[in-house]
Amino acid sequence: MKSLPAVASKPPIKFRLPTAENLVPIRLDIEIDGQRFKDAFTWNPADPDSEVVVFAKRTVKDLKLPPAFITQIAHSIQTQLAEFRSYEGQEMYTGEKIVPIKLDLRVNSTIIRDQFLWDLNNLESDPEEFARTFCEDLGIVDPEIGPAIAVAIREQLYEIAIQSVASARESRISKKGRRGAEHVTTSKAGGTVLDLVKLFGGKSSVLRKRKEWELYEPIIDILSNEEVSALDAREERNAR
Amino acid sequence: MEDASSKSFPANEPEQDLYTIPSYSSWFTWDEIHETEKQALKEFFDGSSISRTPKIYKEYRDFIINKYREEPSRRLTFTEVRKYLIGDVCLIHKVFRLLERWGLINFGVPTEDSSGDEKLKGRLEDGVPNGIRVVSVPNPNKVVLLTPNVKDEAVDKGGFRLPPLASYLDVFGDLMREKGLICENCGEGCASGRYVSAKGGFVICVRCFKNENYGESKTADGFKFSDSTSSSDDHGSDVWTDAETLLLLETVLKHGDDWDLVAQNVQTKSKLDCILRLIQMPFGELMLGSTNGKGGASNSSGNNINNRQVQANSIDTQEPIKTENQCHENMDETRQIREDETQDPLLKRRCIGSFADSGGSLMKQVALLATMMGPHIAAAGTKAAIAALCNENEYAQEMFEGEEVSVTNYFGSLTSKNEPGRVCKVDDMEMGEKCIQSEPQETPQEKLVPLALRFRTGIAAALGTAAAHAKLLADQEDREIERLVATIIEMQIRKIHCKIKHFEELELIMEKEYTHIEELKEYFIAERINVICEALRVGISRWKDHTSVKSVIGSIF
Repeated sequence: MKSLPAVASKPPIKFRLPTAENLVPIRLDIEIDGQRFKDAFTWNPADPDSEVVVFAKRTVKDLKLPPAFITQIAHSIQTQLAEFRSYEGQEMYTGEKIVPIKLDLRVNSTIIRDQFLWDLNNLESDPEEFARTFCEDLGIVDPEIGPAIAVAIREQLYEIAIQSVASARESRISKKGRRGAEHVTTSKAGGTVLDLVKLFGGKSSVLRKRKEWELYEPIIDILSNEEVSALDAREERNAR
Repeated sequence: MEDASSKSFPANEPEQDLYTIPSYSSWFTWDEIHETEKQALKEFFDGSSISRTPKIYKEYRDFIINKYREEPSRRLTFTEVRKYLIGDVCLIHKVFRLLERWGLINFGVPTEDSSGDEKLKGRLEDGVPNGIRVVSVPNPNKVVLLTPNVKDEAVDKGGFRLPPLASYLDVFGDLMREKGLICENCGEGCASGRYVSAKGGFVICVRCFKNENYGESKTADGFKFSDSTSSSDDHGSDVWTDAETLLLLETVLKHGDDWDLVAQNVQTKSKLDCILRLIQMPFGELMLGSTNGKGGASNSSGNNINNRQVQANSIDTQEPIKTENQCHENMDETRQIREDETQDPLLKRRCIGSFADSGGSLMKQVALLATMMGPHIAAAGTKAAIAALCNENEYAQEMFEGEEVSVTNYFGSLTSKNEPGRVCKVDDMEMGEKCIQSEPQETPQEKLVPLALRFRTGIAAALGTAAAHAKLLADQEDREIERLVATIIEMQIRKIHCKIKHFEELELIMEKEYTHIEELKEYFIAERINVICEALRVGISRWKDHTSVKSVIGSIF
């Protein structure tokens, strides 16, 4: 076996989203009196908490929602932020983790399905930039799609980060000092972590096999109005 | 720095393709990784991870460059490439950007327009944008209210929805509605034409009218079709609309040189403008001259056509101009139809120059002719046309003679457009007649005529006119064909006659020859007899010489 380059054992870092900007993905899904408000965006946890209420008020005003929404929105955001903060103090391992990220979202009348690999270790990654490039390259004009993609990526990264915290805690408890490549295989974190050794080491090529090209290719569907309304109705039914 | 130098690799294999990369990237080689690359992408070279090695980097790089070079003229996008490569997409994107920055891929390929770019680019448009009317004195006191957007789409549940920005539509919506470019029913532009209601000036587009979405008024009645070409942009005193031109021509025809009056009639233009415009029009000066003597020199039909084309411009103004005098308008239509039908000598007018839009429709031509005439001439023409038409169509004659029958009956029976086309025309003629005879007053019957029917009348009349014209042309063609065929036949007959004559002559000659030969024959026979007689006189030789006798006798026969 080819001698691997020495894997630098990294000290665990504090919990954060492994992206250049530590933005928290927030998802809102509030229903009051038959009126449903769904939204997804990113929030900067460094903002003061007072901003939450201001944001909620502005949202309700702009969208002309009944005022009952204000408290609900603020409450929801705060809950999610609190959850984020609860992880913040802890450590997470950022071993060699290249995870597949899957996109499967519907924004207005566009369905996007995609799959790609993301390196959790890369603390300079930028989902927004990825989303921007995505939209540019594929000529997507709907301005809502880019942010939706970015939020979706962030959410998945968030999930994985949370799990890595859990696993870090586990491993710390169970086996002290075990670090490095072994974490890759023992971690049962969501989002199957790729066996890097198999992929990158040795004689394998980083070029994908032809049959896998389709899996990793973005698929975009544009729906007609009827299909959109049908899907909306189905989602509402499922939500109930 | 930017000048490209082509680089072939390797130089000693000439059959390879040439790819262009900028001169500042000449450090690049396939076989090695240059220091530039190592500097820019340190993560591959610091041994920090199994997934980032120089070998991997080289694979990424080579693949991307080769992929681009498969089709150098098209822009390779990152999204296209990433599906082929295993690895963190952010990292691959970094490699991609490095290559693009150094011009090793996508060099000189134009970037496609994305929606984001359009915001930054300006688009050059000539003239006044739609929906803006430049008036001479804007009213600063008039407050423009922002009206909510007509097309209020369903609220998007998923995302943020900012309040709609005030568009120029809101601000200038009133102006646009006046100009009638936006259908008030469906909020879309009325490109081809629009229906204006007789009451509040409510404008709907052709589509809404067809779909029976009449908006406020809810009925098909009360809508008048107005062609969009008639309302051209108002640029102030520079551009003359058709309406103004029409007024100008009419006034000049009526009053000749009186510019004060002309300027008064054409309210929006000054005296100088009027004069200028008239001179600019190809026949303008002639009109001045010929107003003094109407029905001037005769001219060829070509000029007549030119006349019609001049009229082509103003026909559109006929329709949107709502004259209070409905009868007068209808008479206009009538006149136009009639005048086109007949090549009335009164219509002929010297006309110099042809007009660009020589493809104008019949109605346009006719209308323009009509505008140039005074009412009396037009009336005379109408009468002549009626007479001509009556001769052609006995039905029309019948109609015409049955004047006592109420007009409304006829109009009531108008259901289809094509069939009673001629009927409509005749009805128009009738009405026209009545109007000519009696003052241009509204007769009671005419009041009963609804707008839509008159409108239908107009269409039917136009169609009938076109049909008649076509028929005339067809007849002409038929006659021409007959004439030509007759000529051909005559030629053939003449040819045959010549041949016959020739043969007869030959026969004569033959006969002569024949007789001559007969004579010769007889002569020879006579000669022979003589010879035999001589031979016999001389004496036949003895019995012994039978053979000689026989031969002599035999030779005679």
